[in-house]
Amino acid sequence: MTDAALCAQIAPPRIGERLADALLSGRGIWPAVPAIIVLMVVAVVPFAILLSLGFSDIEISRGDIVSQTFSLTHLTNALTDPLYWITFQRSLNLALTTTALCVLFGYPVAYLFLVGGKWTKRLILILTIAPLLTSGIVRTYAWLVILGGRGVVNQTLMGMGLIDQPLRIMNTHWAVLIGMVQIHLPVMILPLIAVMSRNDSQIMEAAENLGASRLGTLRTVILPLSVPGIGTGAALVFTLSYTTFVVPQLLGGGNYLNAATMIYEQVVFSLEWSKGSVSSLLLMVSCLIVLVCIALATNHFTRWTKGREA
Amino acid sequence: MMHGPTGPSTKVVSTAPVLSIGAVSKSFGSVRVLEDCSLEIAEGEIVTLLGPSGCGKTTLLRCIAGFWDADGGSISIDGQEVAPVPVNRRPVGVVFQSYALFPHMTVAQNVGYALRMSGAPKLKADETVASALATVSLTGFEDRYPAQLSGGQQQRVAIARVLVMEPRVLLLDEPFNALDAKLRGSMQVELRQLIKTLGLTSIFVTHDQEEALTMSDRIAVMRAGRIEQVASPDEIFDRPATAYVADFIGVSNFWDAEAQGGQVALPDGKTIETDLSGPVRVMARPHNLRLAPPGDGSWTGKVTFHRNVGPLIEYHVESSVGGAIRVAAMRQERARPIADRAEVSITVIDPANCAVYSGE
Repeated sequence: MTDAALCAQIAPPRIGERLADALLSGRGIWPAVPAIIVLMVVAVVPFAILLSLGFSDIEISRGDIVSQTFSLTHLTNALTDPLYWITFQRSLNLALTTTALCVLFGYPVAYLFLVGGKWTKRLILILTIAPLLTSGIVRTYAWLVILGGRGVVNQTLMGMGLIDQPLRIMNTHWAVLIGMVQIHLPVMILPLIAVMSRNDSQIMEAAENLGASRLGTLRTVILPLSVPGIGTGAALVFTLSYTTFVVPQLLGGGNYLNAATMIYEQVVFSLEWSKGSVSSLLLMVSCLIVLVCIALATNHFTRWTKGREA
Repeated sequence: MMHGPTGPSTKVVSTAPVLSIGAVSKSFGSVRVLEDCSLEIAEGEIVTLLGPSGCGKTTLLRCIAGFWDADGGSISIDGQEVAPVPVNRRPVGVVFQSYALFPHMTVAQNVGYALRMSGAPKLKADETVASALATVSLTGFEDRYPAQLSGGQQQRVAIARVLVMEPRVLLLDEPFNALDAKLRGSMQVELRQLIKTLGLTSIFVTHDQEEALTMSDRIAVMRAGRIEQVASPDEIFDRPATAYVADFIGVSNFWDAEAQGGQVALPDGKTIETDLSGPVRVMARPHNLRLAPPGDGSWTGKVTFHRNVGPLIEYHVESSVGGAIRVAAMRQERARPIADRAEVSITVIDPANCAVYSGE
């Protein structure tokens, strides 16, 4: 080896290279800094300001804040207002029902993806992802055409002579629920498919070889192993449907009050920002409580993943 | 060991094969994966399907297990055709290449799975699981999860798991692939002894000839969907039926020659008998050749390389006939090996141990 080549080999790396290596080494949080700055500016700071409105009495004179003092009045008002309880209960009911129905309808699709052939898999992926490529508002409006008084459902039922006059589906709880399940189903199916196809395909063959029927394999092997997928999907669907605004607003006909539409009314129509602030906080906290419950339940059913490193 | 408190069930001693495969064929689309494969396996026999990847050995295994249906031919166990029998009713146990243990079940739950599926009473099932775990020396590991076990232990769980179902035929799909080389050797011997003790009729799939020679009573060498030769390890090694088998098993030297009047002349002047005539290929194993000082014979060459293989020294010789020839010599104390670049002559020790195959 020539001296020059030897020198090149032991020469220290350039400063830029060293900096890049330090950034990518995994020590410190440097790679996340840009995202953190953006989140601080567009999410954390505004939310803090909003919260401060909810926990203070504000005197306003001629459009300017004159004095701002800490107060729990808005929170205690909200917690003692039956309207809040009814609204949040309705939101919770709607979100939990939506989540349960998404699991119920989504799981068989994910199972079919797991055991189906190449074309079945492709078809399921296309049908699952396609709705995500269109706007939620468009998809929601499509339900007007289907569920309306002169919509496809009523026309068909009347054509078959099952009913004499159109059912009132639009602007009811049922319309909202149908829309919610349809909008959120892909969010359930995709994590399920991701988790279920991670498993060794020979595991199902092993179960069959050891005498399990298809149902036995599903019950004893596929289902327990897909619990993390159910947990992830349920958490996503619950969060999205608990805080959703578009579907209840459009399919509920503007008078379906859930937590999100209530906040909208408080902020946009009655201009009570302090109330809106407290409502947002309550929505966030109650959502977190349910998410923790889902996480605990998922953990309970996946104890086998613990001690993997042991 | 694997039976309940009533003791070992008496097996009917008969000469009828446990498993018989008759002219099985299988295609995927236009690709013919198995062609006219026939094989009979006797009670307690271990037969290896040996061949390079893509030769159809795993396909044949999967057809026997029922994961795939054969297109033609018949597979029967104890004289009963298994084609109409679904996977979960076949008396066949599979040890998978990846072991395919259930990650969410403990060792005991994994091993007891077949018994739960067949609805065996719990008390008896627990006993059977305990004795199966004892058989594979995993007593005390009942409550571990597969991820907490080493590769060798996982393999033994996979074996115990199929043993409890008392299969008529045990299928092992490259079970040593996931183990490191050192463990592989000892597990091979251990597994063979275990299977022999239990008297299980087994088919073992591998692409590793050493594994095949260690494990099997008979070896079926496969090539492009066909079974090329079925014979005992000794016979496969000493009298390979085709040039392909000779080339696949062990190290072989080949050269072209001409058969005339029922004889083939060897390059060192000796002759061997043959039924063939015209162009032929002659095969000699390295240990059937001997190196001598030049001038002693008509078959000459030059040593290009030698290496130490345990008790043997393997010489690579660039020779006048057959190109690169490999010769194995016993290591001799205090004697120096022949130096590289030395001129040598090659002689055949026993012409009867050379094989002659038709050329082209």
